Amino acid sequence: MERSIGSLIDATERREDGASEALFEALYHELHRLAKRELVRHGFPVSISATTLLHQAYLEMAARGGTSFPDEARFMAYTARVMRGLIIDHARNRLAQKRGGRFELTAIASDIAENAVDGQELARIGEALDELAKAEPALAEVVDLKFFCGFSFAEVAAMRGISERTVQRMWQKARIYLHRSISSGLSP
Amino acid sequence: MFNSQSWQEVSPYLDRALAMPEEQREAWLVSLGGENPALADLLRSLLQEHDVLSRERFLEETPPPISAAQALTGQMIGAYALVAPLGRGGMGSVWLAARTDGRFERRAAVKFLNIAIAGLGGEERFKREGAILARLAHPHIAQLLDAGVTSSGQPYLIIEYVEGDDIVRYCDAHRLEVGARLRLFLDVLAALAHAHTNLVVHRDIKPSNVLVTVDGRVKLLDFGIAKLLAQESGSGTPTQLTRDGGGALTPLFAAPEQVTGGPVTTATDVYGCGLLLYELLTGQHPAGPGPHSPLDLVKVIVETEPPHMSETVRPAAAGAETVHARAAGRAATPDRLGRMLRGDLDTIVAKALKKNPQERYASAAAMADDLRRYLAHEPIGARPDTLAYRTAKFVRRNRTAVVLTGLAVLAIAAGIIGVLVQARTVRAQRDFAFRALGRAQAVDQFNVFLLSDAAPSGKPFTVNELLARAEHILNLQRTKNDANRVELLATIGIQYSIAEQDTQARRVLEEAYSLSKGVWEPTVRADAACNLASQLARSGEFARAESLFQEGLHELPNAPQYSIARFNCLRRGSEIAQELGNERQGIARLEEARRVLAQSPFQSDWDHMLTFLNLGEAYRMAGQNDKAIAEFEKADALISSTGRQETQSAAVILNDWALALQQLGRPLEAERLLRRSIDIHRADQTEDAVPPTVLGNYALILRMLGRLDAAADYVERSSAKARRTQDQVALYHALYTGASIYFDRHDFVRAGAALRELEPIMLHAFPPGSDWLAALASQQALLAWGTGHPEQALRLADQGVASVETEMKVKGQGDYLLPTLLLRRATILLGTGRPAQAAADASRALAVLQARAQPNAFSSYLGDAWLALGRALQSQEKAEEARAAFHAAVSHFQHTLGPDNPRTLDALQLADGELHHR
Repeated sequence: MERSIGSLIDATERREDGASEALFEALYHELHRLAKRELVRHGFPVSISATTLLHQAYLEMAARGGTSFPDEARFMAYTARVMRGLIIDHARNRLAQKRGGRFELTAIASDIAENAVDGQELARIGEALDELAKAEPALAEVVDLKFFCGFSFAEVAAMRGISERTVQRMWQKARIYLHRSISSGLSP
Repeated sequence: MFNSQSWQEVSPYLDRALAMPEEQREAWLVSLGGENPALADLLRSLLQEHDVLSRERFLEETPPPISAAQALTGQMIGAYALVAPLGRGGMGSVWLAARTDGRFERRAAVKFLNIAIAGLGGEERFKREGAILARLAHPHIAQLLDAGVTSSGQPYLIIEYVEGDDIVRYCDAHRLEVGARLRLFLDVLAALAHAHTNLVVHRDIKPSNVLVTVDGRVKLLDFGIAKLLAQESGSGTPTQLTRDGGGALTPLFAAPEQVTGGPVTTATDVYGCGLLLYELLTGQHPAGPGPHSPLDLVKVIVETEPPHMSETVRPAAAGAETVHARAAGRAATPDRLGRMLRGDLDTIVAKALKKNPQERYASAAAMADDLRRYLAHEPIGARPDTLAYRTAKFVRRNRTAVVLTGLAVLAIAAGIIGVLVQARTVRAQRDFAFRALGRAQAVDQFNVFLLSDAAPSGKPFTVNELLARAEHILNLQRTKNDANRVELLATIGIQYSIAEQDTQARRVLEEAYSLSKGVWEPTVRADAACNLASQLARSGEFARAESLFQEGLHELPNAPQYSIARFNCLRRGSEIAQELGNERQGIARLEEARRVLAQSPFQSDWDHMLTFLNLGEAYRMAGQNDKAIAEFEKADALISSTGRQETQSAAVILNDWALALQQLGRPLEAERLLRRSIDIHRADQTEDAVPPTVLGNYALILRMLGRLDAAADYVERSSAKARRTQDQVALYHALYTGASIYFDRHDFVRAGAALRELEPIMLHAFPPGSDWLAALASQQALLAWGTGHPEQALRLADQGVASVETEMKVKGQGDYLLPTLLLRRATILLGTGRPAQAAADASRALAVLQARAQPNAFSSYLGDAWLALGRALQSQEKAEEARAAFHAAVSHFQHTLGPDNPRTLDALQLADGELHHR
């Protein structure tokens, strides 16, 4: 029997062995499923923002999880990291497609072409974030929420119960770290 | 990269620097540099980097959103992988998909329907509709290949992929002249006519749904999808205006009844065809050049008579240039085009565009006939009485028919339930209630046909009269559609079969079968073969039945759209095996049918219910009553959950379930089920509608419970009704049960009368050595003993037991009867002063029953056997053993008859009495 997201969050907070990995897996699976469903439902051409997806995910999982389900802020804290993984995988996937791994139709070419940050760069940012999370997990979390999930400073501040100014500073600091990391990674 | 130590060191300083106003930073850095120059340098470079990053807005863009093209490409939908999105319509998104079977690749379009099918029966209904649509196989209809619901709950359809242009653009691009346009249009009508005879209405005929492929073949898309979408909004009839989930849909191609919320029928499609033809021939919509506001359009659709086509092509109508261009596009001058359209073509299109659906062509076929006459220069307007026309009439009347025919449908259904319960008993223990049930859906459709066209109005009629009429009507039809004819013949044949008119059934099913040979649809050929096979098995032609069944199965390719046909054939195959007495194979084929169904995209609760019921019956026939009960429970739960717990089908489940419990000696539970079954049959306050066999079964259960007065009452009602309806089978059941009841009441006169009436019937109906005759002999033995003829009684009792023993040895059958016959003989033996022999018979009965029962299961039959043994032991002065036997009987009776049952209390008294003796 699979464990519910709610119980996995509890287990993670109790630092049970393997709980956080299981939680990541479960959330990833759930987000992926939801994304596909939403995309199919709304048709083509369409995309879905991470923020929308997360809100949707919270509403659904909370409805299933019942009264014991964690509040939205706590939920987002765990899910933001997962969202990062999903987005990076998604971008990598697109990269593979652009290189001609699969069918390519003119109808979808424009859909693929745009977008500023490419998959490789995102992946490097992801790796740097993992490093940062070891040193200052709070900073990494702010980046996940702000950059990968698309929440505003005000929203992140409300979630963490700190001032917007503090969030902004954390974000700036993290950004310096990340840029340093990926730049030094580029030039040996 | 940072090493973590240097970051740890610089981190708090970075916090402070970022927190302070920018203009203070430099001074702070300078003072810091005095203490720790390296740190100050690092900080300075980091802050410079921060400024650059801020200017460049590094990481301020949100990363790319997740887009459908990547997230979904490659995902498997059924057997197809999504390749690329094709577009989006009112119904949802459409994808190109591919199926790869080795080197062979097949393309298809996957349509995700924008409907929520969660909720009451939504998924069930979706699949049912899908199954209907999947059967629409026609060269001019884009074939529905599969339908289902993704794991995330999104309903989808997989449809033959058609590459082509819409018919209007195609004709214009090829500058087709009027005749060529009409011939192309006839293909549209042919496709629609096929759908209409299958009672499917397209509902959304418009240019974008009518494609022409590069090689010039017409393909209609999106059959019935409008209905799937419409149903979702619940009870109200959604109009084309409200349909698209709030998104404005121009009702450019809506018929008046779709705008006003009237019933949608085949005439709705005719209207759509009128619009399409209008545009094909004139180059414009009857509402004139757009754009139109939806409100204006509604007014035009409902109120304004469209101008004649010939008027719109005159130069005065729409600017000389346009008119000339349009005429040129049809290889004509405006004058010539006007002349061609004036007259017949104007008349035909005007008739198709009538506001009142009743005044339009009744179907696509009728419209096609007139167009063909026009092309052949024959006078138009005479409409023969075609099948399509009749069906169309029916579809239009559908709504009222459902209300009006309540009485008539009941009459038919009652007839069917009567014969089906009858059918079960004709072959003694080999009953096939499910045979009738399995066809109930076909019956529903057929009733509808009979009641609309075949039924004499206002007169009472019998099922057989109706069938004869239906056959007659079908023979008069000059339809070219053999597939359709095969199916209607099959329906008639099956009805004959249910009504036990085996000769008629066979004749009609043979005709359907030979006709099916020329039909290219595999499902039709398979159905015809398997239907005939089942009928042949009923009349004992097992070899041909089996080979036809195999032939039917082989007709069906291994693809989802054939799964329901395969399911039906396997069920027929099971009937054949069971008729042959091969219960194990019967069960195996049903289990295979269940597997096929489980993997089918078109499964419905109804099919599942049938499978449970059929398996229940098969297990019951094989004597595996516990397994049978498990299946009946599932069937009952399913039928209740679909809101059909008050239907005839539910009554059949309850009856069969009760019989399985009765065979296990659990009459108390059986009584409750049969009571429910009777309540369902009993439409009003009387029990007139309850079939005599059900009444007889109830009497049997009441007798087991020792409620002899009520049992006698029911058995009399059963026999009276059986006589009234000339139901021989129900009659001999009632007479046999009645004889037992009267004997139990010591009413030997009535018991004798019943047996005297029964004997000639049985001798006529059953061959020597059959279990029924053995049962009769033992019943006669009891009566002989009761009326003071012990020698005759023993002789008859021996005869009964010997007969069953022989049948067990020779055929391996009849063991279910042996304990009963042994116990009856034990009663006589004890009554004639032979307690040792009586004890031997009772012990043997006990052993047989115990071998058959589940361990620790309670059974009233076991109670009977212990009681008989106890009495025999008591007579032998073996008080201790007798007491133990009586206690065992009490225990079985308490659990199966109830603690307060008089028979339980009698046994208890015997057990206690033994105690007092001591």
